[in-house]
Formats: sequence, C-alpha cells, structure tokens
Amino acid sequence: MKKYGICMLPLLGLAAVPSSARNVDLSTIPPREGVQLTIYNSEDLTLVRETRTITFKRGLNPLQFSWANTLIDPSSVELRFVTQPDRLELLDTTFPHDKPQMLYWSVHSEIDGDAQIEVTYFTSGITWSADYVCISDTAEDTMSFEGFVRITNQSGEEYADAQVRLVVGTINLVEKVRDLAARGLVSRDEADDFERARGRVSRLGGEAKREMLNEIQLGFAQADRVQSSEKAIIKEGLSEYFIFSVEGSETVPQGWSKRIRLFQGKDVPLRIQYRFRPQEYGEQLVRMFLLRNDSASDLGTTPLPDGVVRLYRDNGRDGLSFVVQQPVKYVPVGQEIELNLGGDPEVIHERVCLRTWRDNFWFHRNGANVYYSPDQGHRIEIHDVVAGWDEHHLWSERIRNYRTKPVDVEIRRSFDGHVLLRSELEATLHDFRSPQFTAQIAAGEKGELEYELVVKNGYNQKQSNVTLEPGK
Amino acid sequence: MHRPSFPRVACLLAGLVGVNPFSSHAAVKLITLPPRERVEIQLDNPNVTLVEEERIVPLAAGVNDVVFAWSNANIDRDSVQFRCLTDPEQIRVLSVSYPPEGGTLTWQVYSPNAGSARVRISYLMGQLDKSFMYRAVAASDERSLTLWQYILLHNQANEEFGVAGMWAGFGERFERPIGIAETRQLLAAKFENVPIRKMYTANLAEFGYLDAGKQQLRIPMHHVLLNDEANGLGKFALMFGKARIFQDDGRGTVAFIGEDWASFTPRDDELKLYLGVAKDVVVVRTIERREQTRVLGHLHDIDVIVKYEIENFKDQAVDLDIVESMRALRAEIRGDSPRDVEWELVADGTLTSAVNKDESTADLAAFRVTLPARGADDKAIKVAHTLHVRIRNEW
Repeated sequence: MKKYGICMLPLLGLAAVPSSARNVDLSTIPPREGVQLTIYNSEDLTLVRETRTITFKRGLNPLQFSWANTLIDPSSVELRFVTQPDRLELLDTTFPHDKPQMLYWSVHSEIDGDAQIEVTYFTSGITWSADYVCISDTAEDTMSFEGFVRITNQSGEEYADAQVRLVVGTINLVEKVRDLAARGLVSRDEADDFERARGRVSRLGGEAKREMLNEIQLGFAQADRVQSSEKAIIKEGLSEYFIFSVEGSETVPQGWSKRIRLFQGKDVPLRIQYRFRPQEYGEQLVRMFLLRNDSASDLGTTPLPDGVVRLYRDNGRDGLSFVVQQPVKYVPVGQEIELNLGGDPEVIHERVCLRTWRDNFWFHRNGANVYYSPDQGHRIEIHDVVAGWDEHHLWSERIRNYRTKPVDVEIRRSFDGHVLLRSELEATLHDFRSPQFTAQIAAGEKGELEYELVVKNGYNQKQSNVTLEPGK
Repeated sequence: MHRPSFPRVACLLAGLVGVNPFSSHAAVKLITLPPRERVEIQLDNPNVTLVEEERIVPLAAGVNDVVFAWSNANIDRDSVQFRCLTDPEQIRVLSVSYPPEGGTLTWQVYSPNAGSARVRISYLMGQLDKSFMYRAVAASDERSLTLWQYILLHNQANEEFGVAGMWAGFGERFERPIGIAETRQLLAAKFENVPIRKMYTANLAEFGYLDAGKQQLRIPMHHVLLNDEANGLGKFALMFGKARIFQDDGRGTVAFIGEDWASFTPRDDELKLYLGVAKDVVVVRTIERREQTRVLGHLHDIDVIVKYEIENFKDQAVDLDIVESMRALRAEIRGDSPRDVEWELVADGTLTSAVNKDESTADLAAFRVTLPARGADDKAIKVAHTLHVRIRNEW
C-alpha cells in the first residue's frame, strides 16, 4: 500500500507529450530494481539513484515521472540509459504547467524491447547524523568509545532495500534543495498547495496513520531479518570527503530513523586536564577528557563527523554515572578529541589579588612636551602631573585538589595593553596577549600559582602585548 | 488514584522472531513483558537524572525485536541505551529503529541461542530530580551544632520505580520506593557536635548602616562552620539548599531561630548561615582623620584613620570581624577612581596587630577583635579601635 510517492509510467498508445493527452490513458508501472542513496550531512541533500527496466517500442516513447508529496528538486531529475544507450535517445523533457511534481520524457527508440534506465535526482528530507557513546572506567584511565550513525527519512518517500552511502564533508549549494522542491518549476500558488498537501500527509491521524506505520514498521523489521551480525560500514576517503557505505541494503520508511554502529574503540586511553580558558569555556576551571582519534588509541579508522557525545562513567557500583552530553565538531584522524566535563566540585579554583602598588612614575610639565622621571634624577615641580606609571598586581591562582589523583592544571588568561608577567611559573604565550602556564597539584594538596602583572599606563605604554619575565 | 493498566515504561519482546508487536497484520500476537529486576537512579549529575533498569529478556535464536516503550514519561529518547549483561560478546544490538511517533524504539538484537538474557537499559529522565535541605540545631552555648542533611527526591516523571537504589553522588547508596508525583525526604547524612563560631561582622561596604544618621553599622550574625575533617565534616562538598536553624533552649526543647540558603560549600570552605541582625553589638564607625600629603608633582598620599566605637551589651564575650573595603573607603573620602587602591597599614592603628591575613586581599583589610562581655553593673564596655591606613600614590 502506498498512497504517495514516486512513480514512473510509460504511457501506452500516446504518440505525443501531454499537450495531446486524452481523457483515457493506459500506462504500466515498472518497479524500482535498485536504489542507492548518497546522503550528505553538511546539507539537507540526498542524491537518489534508481534503476528500472522499461520496454520500449520503436519510435517515440513518452515516459511520465512523478513524485507527488515528496521533496525532490525537479531541476535535478536526470534520465540515463544504462543499456542500449546508442539506440535510445532522450529527445526532450517537459514539465507540464498544470501538473506539479511531474515531468514527461520523450524517448526515441531504435529497439523494440527492454532497456535498463537510471533516474537520478536530489531530494531533501533524508538526513544522517552521528552520535557517540563513551563510558570511562572507574579510574578514568581509559574509555570505550562507540560511534553511531542515524539515518532519518522525512522525504515523503519510502526507499525499500536501498544501498546507503553517507558522505562526510562540506559541499557548496547555491540554493537549498528543500526550497527548490517547494518552488520547483511551478508557480508560487502551486508550491503553496504542495506544502499544504505535505502538511496533510504529516498530519495523518488515527487509524490511517497507524495502519501506514504498522505496515512500514513490519517492512522495516523484516528488512533486517536475514542479517545476523552487525552491518559492516565500509569507510573510504574521496578527495576532501569521507564516505561510509552501509553493508547490504536498508529500508528507510518515511518518518522513521535507524541507528547503526559505525565503529567501536574498546580501551581508548584518556588524559585529564583542568583548563581555565575564559574565551573558550567561560569563567570557570573546567575538567577536560582528552583522547586522540588515532590507531594507537584504538580509534582512527575514520574521521569523526559532527555529532553529539554522551559520556558516562563506570561508577564502581555496577552502574553508570551520567557525566555530560555535548556536541563535537568534526575530528580528523590523528586529531585530539576534547570533551568538556564542566566544573568539578572536587577541584576548587579561586583567583585572588593579594596586593596592588604603583611605581615608575613619569610626569608632564604644562606647556612643554617634555617628560620627567624622579627615577632618572629629574626634578619634579609642584604642578607637574602624572603622565605615565606602572601598576603592579600580585595575583594568586589557588587550586585545591580533593581528588585521589594528582591533577594537571592549565591557566590561560588574556590581557589588554602593555603588560609584563613576572613569575617563577614556566609561562608561555598562547598568543601576543594571552600567557598560559601549567602546574600539577598533588592529590589532596593545595597549590598557589602566583604571578605579578605589571601594566604600563599612559606615557609608559609603548606596546600592546604581554611580555614574559622570569622572577618572583 | 488512577492506576494505568499498562506500565508507563515497558520493555516488550515479540515472542516470535519476526513478529512485530505493533504490527496490525499479525492477528495472533504474543508479547512478553519482562518486569524490572533492578532499578538504580543516579542522582549525582547536578542537571539530569540517569535511570538504569535491568530486565531478564527471553530471546529466541536469531534476530529479536525488543521494543522499549513509554507513555507520558519524560524520557530523552536519544539517550536510551541497551547493554546486554549476559554474554555481551555474542548477544548484540544490530540496529535501533525509531518510529515517527515518540515514546518507543525497537532494538534488533541478535542472539546465537535461545534463552534468557539479563539486559540493562539506561536513559536520562526529566522531572525526576533532587534538592537538598538542612536542619541545624545549635547547642545552647552556640559553640557546636548538629547538622542533618536531607535529600528531597521529587518524582514528577509520571513513573513509579518500586524499590530503587539511589545515589546522590556522595555518601552511601540507599534503597527506597518512590511513587508517582511523590516527594520523598531522605536523610543523607548527619553530623554531630560540629564546632561552630558565631560571627558578628562590621563591613560597611557589604552590609551598610543600621542607622546612617548615627553612623551605626548593621551587624549581621552568622553561624560559621568549616567543612573540613577536623570539624567532623569535609568528606564531600555541601550542596546548595535551604537550612532551618534551631537552638537548644536548655530545657529539652529547641527553638526555631531562622532559616537561610546554604550555599554550595566545597571542602575546607566555610559555610555561613545568616541568623539576622545583632542588636546587642553596637558599632559606630567614623572617619577620624583624613590628611593629604604631596609626594611628587600632584601625586599625593592620604592618611586615613577609621575609628570604631564598639559596645557589647551581651553577657558574654563575642568575636567581631571588621572588614574594610579600601576601594569603598577611598570613594568615601575622595570620590572613586578607576585605579586600584595602593594602601598600607600604619603601625599605630590598634587594628594593625589584629589583621586577619587569610581574609585580607588587595582590596579588603580584615581584622578580628574580641569584645568583652558587659560589666557586672550591666553596662557595656565601650571599646575603641582605629584602623590607620595610608592610601598611596593618588592623583
């Protein structure tokens, strides 16, 4: 039972295209013999490639292709002759003005017999996404890392027994397929009618909808019946893209989603670091799980597409603790995966300004463009005004570690102006205005990471950057 | 109470391989409903609640459809996980199917042999959450208290779990039943004889005046307890929650003396419970001296003496914390400035020797002084303290 969808009709007895259509038609409906779906995740775009066998007669053969209540871009529909390409010729393609979501092909045939054709088109509404389930061990030394892909079909069409290929990578489109499907090659009013019709389908209720869903669910379940092991997903690179090809075929009924495992890393080593990076994580010390998408980490068979990570921890009491759920961006093979667990009540961070003082004053005398410094032995007059000075702040980053293991901490801050950072800490510059330093705080210990900031103001400001200087 | 005839959260198994429980095509259907064998509710995440349940599922050899369905329960469908505890290497989930309508999903589970398997299903559930509250009973001498910490488990998730194991992220795991729309108060921890300090604070910048005309400061009172092991606490951070404070009246009963929101208190931090404004400790703060001294050009220092006249009308000695914000003090005597305050204490102030270094920062000067009890003649002894500070390099 199918009340909507894609249909191909060789029109028998019709010598011409629809301008001469009669009230009585005779047609046959050649079924799909094969379907391949290539689904892109960067755009709402799927390339559908379907094959059918059609019996041609010598001379002119009109073909009707229609796609009622689907999201196909009519400008993308193409016809190719797989067999007998030298003896079949596509003469023209007509989009009738009074029949949206339909076209006619006029094919001239030199044969009287079967030929296999391939119809390709873009549709929107079929999407795929990735998600990841990570479970760390109790000691938080390693984790299992499973990746899944989930295919969702909201295209308005059921593609039974389709080969499925999933494309990772960004492609450029100048127009959205969904817009083209709605607008198509018809007028705005007709496009609105189409949208309303789609709405009626999506709002199907009661028995009709249940009946439809039951039917497709049965088909969906039966499609897997012969499979006794998880489907392999073949991963291969292509230029700037990565393609996952799902083993065998899938039936993806309209409105349904299906989730399949993409890969699994069983003992992925992880490193924990506490980071203070306000520009990335806000004004808090956050706990990071760091792991690497490479073969040494039992991963690295594929880049990780954009997706959602759900992280759990074995709580040591025969159960799990939910840690965090967060999106991750595309991770190439070999790159580090960073999971932000948020603040940790067991590792406390405070920043305290212990002392402030000023020195290195320069004065300006009214009327003369000359600056004077008492430190240079210059005489300062009573009406001289302060033109430049250094402001010193002694800061302490206090870390308390209540965990049973040492913690690695990285502090990164950004400062405006001409700044000198003086410390015994081995600081480095992340960029011209952002010093950073690391420290390890032993289990159960408290650490005070102290540094002096010297901000050069007024006449003293010669730069706009941070300089590092060892010292107390 | 209306009880549904069908469980809100159910794990269904098609009894025959290939028969889908939702299919209307099968006129005769057999569906098994494996009950929950074990439920664990993990309350340790501050934002979401994880439910783990175990069921024993009969599996046929081959591919089985295991349907997990729920109605009117706020389950995050994307979070639902299926793990087989029996022979996990052989019994595997081939795929998961999600029908268009919510509230159900189907695992296609392959089993090499027929037999029962224990499976664990976990999911994030909304409207099943927790909060904390405290009951503190101070001893009559206000030197110690007993602290009860309670977990309030709120079940608005429209699902009952029977006896479920629960863990709040600290302390012991406990088992309790929790019904639909119930709130259950559970004792999480009890701490006895926790030393406390009754704290009176004079801090104009934070608490203002009680009587501005007389320059009399508002003096808030707090019970302060330190969340560390030496004080019988310190095993874990204390969570945010309402604290009701009582005091032993010395006659075998307790009196309610107020309530406050207990802030999240990491280990080794102080928890301050606000008790109200002290009326028996009177502090009048005046600026006794303001003298400006030119240093160079128009650069100058300002000498400031802040005077505190303090009377303790209580019949016992108390400790008073005096805190002065240097930025607020400078604004008071010369208007504000974008520059931070450079300051130093001058030795002749009486408070210089009472400085509390742990609480002092670049902006705050903190001191602690002990006030004697009122005299035998019921008259309070007026104590005067001076804070002599030099604010440097202003212009």
